[in-house]
Amino acid sequence: MKVNTDIGIKLKNPFMLASGILDENGYTMERILNNGASSTVTKSIGMEERRGFDPPVIYHDENYIINAVGLSNPGIDNFEEEIKIALRSGKPVIGSIFGRDAEEFSLLARKMESYSVSAIELNLSCPHVKGYGMEVGSDPDLVSEIVSEVKSKVSIPVFSKLSPNTSDIVEEAKAAEKSDALVLINTIKAMKIDIYARKPVLSNVYGGLSGASIKPVGIRYVYEIKKELNKKIIGVGGIENINDAIEYIMAGASAVQIGSAVYKYGIGIFNKLNNDLNEFFIKNNINDIEDIIGVALK
Amino acid sequence: MKRAYIIDNITEGKNVNTVVFSTDDEIKPGQFIMAWAPGINEIPLSFSYINKIKKITVKIYGEASEYIAHLKRGDYLYYSGPYGKPFTIVPGKKLLIGAGTGIAPLIPLIDDNTYGIISGKTADDIIFERYFNNRLKIVTDDGSYGMNGYVTTALKTLDLNEFDMLYACGPEIMLKTVYDYIKNMDINAQFSLERSMKCGIGLCDSCSINGYQVCTDGPVFSIEQLKNMDEFGRTRLQYSGKRIYF
Ligand SMILES: Cc1cc2nc3c(=O)[nH]c(=O)nc-3n(C[C@H](O)[C@H](O)[C@H](O)COP(=O)(O)OP(=O)(O)OC[C@H]3O[C@@H](n4cnc5c(N)ncnc54)[C@H](O)[C@@H]3O)c2cc1C
Ligand SMILES: Cc1cc2nc3c(=O)[nH]c(=O)nc-3n(C[C@H](O)[C@H](O)[C@H](O)COP(=O)(O)O)c2cc1C
Ligand code: FES
Repeated sequence: MKVNTDIGIKLKNPFMLASGILDENGYTMERILNNGASSTVTKSIGMEERRGFDPPVIYHDENYIINAVGLSNPGIDNFEEEIKIALRSGKPVIGSIFGRDAEEFSLLARKMESYSVSAIELNLSCPHVKGYGMEVGSDPDLVSEIVSEVKSKVSIPVFSKLSPNTSDIVEEAKAAEKSDALVLINTIKAMKIDIYARKPVLSNVYGGLSGASIKPVGIRYVYEIKKELNKKIIGVGGIENINDAIEYIMAGASAVQIGSAVYKYGIGIFNKLNNDLNEFFIKNNINDIEDIIGVALK
Repeated sequence: MKRAYIIDNITEGKNVNTVVFSTDDEIKPGQFIMAWAPGINEIPLSFSYINKIKKITVKIYGEASEYIAHLKRGDYLYYSGPYGKPFTIVPGKKLLIGAGTGIAPLIPLIDDNTYGIISGKTADDIIFERYFNNRLKIVTDDGSYGMNGYVTTALKTLDLNEFDMLYACGPEIMLKTVYDYIKNMDINAQFSLERSMKCGIGLCDSCSINGYQVCTDGPVFSIEQLKNMDEFGRTRLQYSGKRIYF
């Protein structure tokens, strides 16, 4: 049975830790990598240390999370130590970065490469911080400039993480076509009001929606982009169990990332997904993950 | 977000208040809530009383703790939780060790076989003496109340082998002092850690220590667990996630 997969880097299994969930700290990444995740994407790292927004930065309900952490991060220069600790696991670490323009992105990417990450993930899609993420990602010319610049500056694979908060994600994906893989999707811009306090809950008012409730949106984007562009895709959004993961793979994802579900099920979710994948393959006579990637498009 | 009607507000000492409310939540000693000060911040707070009536005891440091500490009868407390792993209660003789408001989450552990140590910088920091029926040592840095010295000054006056479990809560440096004092003795102990917390549900990595999340894997850790955590009492994370030394 073959469950290892290739997204420009080779992964022992399709289950990766998504950016922003328990991956700001080296020891935490190391622990998750030692417990079934095939790789981790780091918290998105910028040029400078950033405190992020004040709490509440997260609101959660049974089926969703809304977060406005505000791209808090220790800054690229402080992050080398964390990556070093995470790499003791022997598993690949993917460096997620965010910047204002092509120059910042390439500088960050070069530093990440010098820290021995296996690939770069460009965060072109965070929905709640002014001047970054989605604001960068919704400008196709800027996206293609950033991707070309970064590709020319590093020799490791480059992934682009795209925003569902755009009128035309196909155009955005085409602009990022030079990337080695596309990561779909980031959170969807959202908010929560407490009806008794009569106030928005998040200190930043707006945040990004994730968790089970966004899975159908993620599936649609993975399917649609796979159909249009036939690029390698990493699926992310609302994956809580093996059926969710298989659905993403059948829609066209070569690997999947798990984020919000870690809060419901703990880091044990990675070992469980691995066991359940084996069981699913046996029960359904599947021998090779390649046989089901994008099978729903055929 | 849950909300609870405030029944009372008790002044415990200088800048320390207890907020009293009633909820159906089942709370175990050591668990905490994320208390929301709308438009200001959201902060972790533990329970100092956990029957049908609940109490949280808050020391004022900044704007959020000030807002919560001043909630009065008729106001509402907005919160999420309860969160975290509680203390494991073992039968036998207990020693509770609390620094300042760190004594608050230990109060629900008190039974008729409990002894206490409360430490503080100065007399103003000592609260909850009344719950211990004189089975208590008090120690202050400046000697303005009780013994003059640190938590170890009080520990040295006790035969720790008499106790079946030590329960400690306070700033991490104080916890490390207690840990260092007892680590080579054959003594059972549990420590409740305080780290900066942004989410309380194990997602943001801001409270982590050696890969464990204080909000979900803790806040209570056994002495055995801490023996494998070299970050304990040595490094912590800032709000940005940057690791700094204590
Ligand atoms: C699991 C857990 C349980 C807790 N339970 C309680 C509790 O029951 N009662 C209680 O009073 N507090 C408790 N705390 C601490 C409490 O959460 C903080 O005091 C609070 O977050 C301060 O918020 P603020 O916005 O008012 O102050 P901030 O604006 O955050 O701080 C103002 C200033 O005070 C300093 N400061 C803040 N908190 C502390 C502290 N605890 N010790 C020393 N200096 C500090 C800051 O560094 C800053 O300089 C707990 C913390 C944790 C992690
Ligand atoms: C608390 C939190 C923080 C996040 N931070 C980042 C981030 O820094 N960079 C990024 O690209 N995505 C970030 N995300 C988005 C996730 O990586 C993921 O795309 C999204 O949550 C959907 O997946 P999920 O439903 O499995 O969580 C964050 C999500 C959450 C919940
Ligand atoms: S407070 Fe966010 S992980 Fe513990």
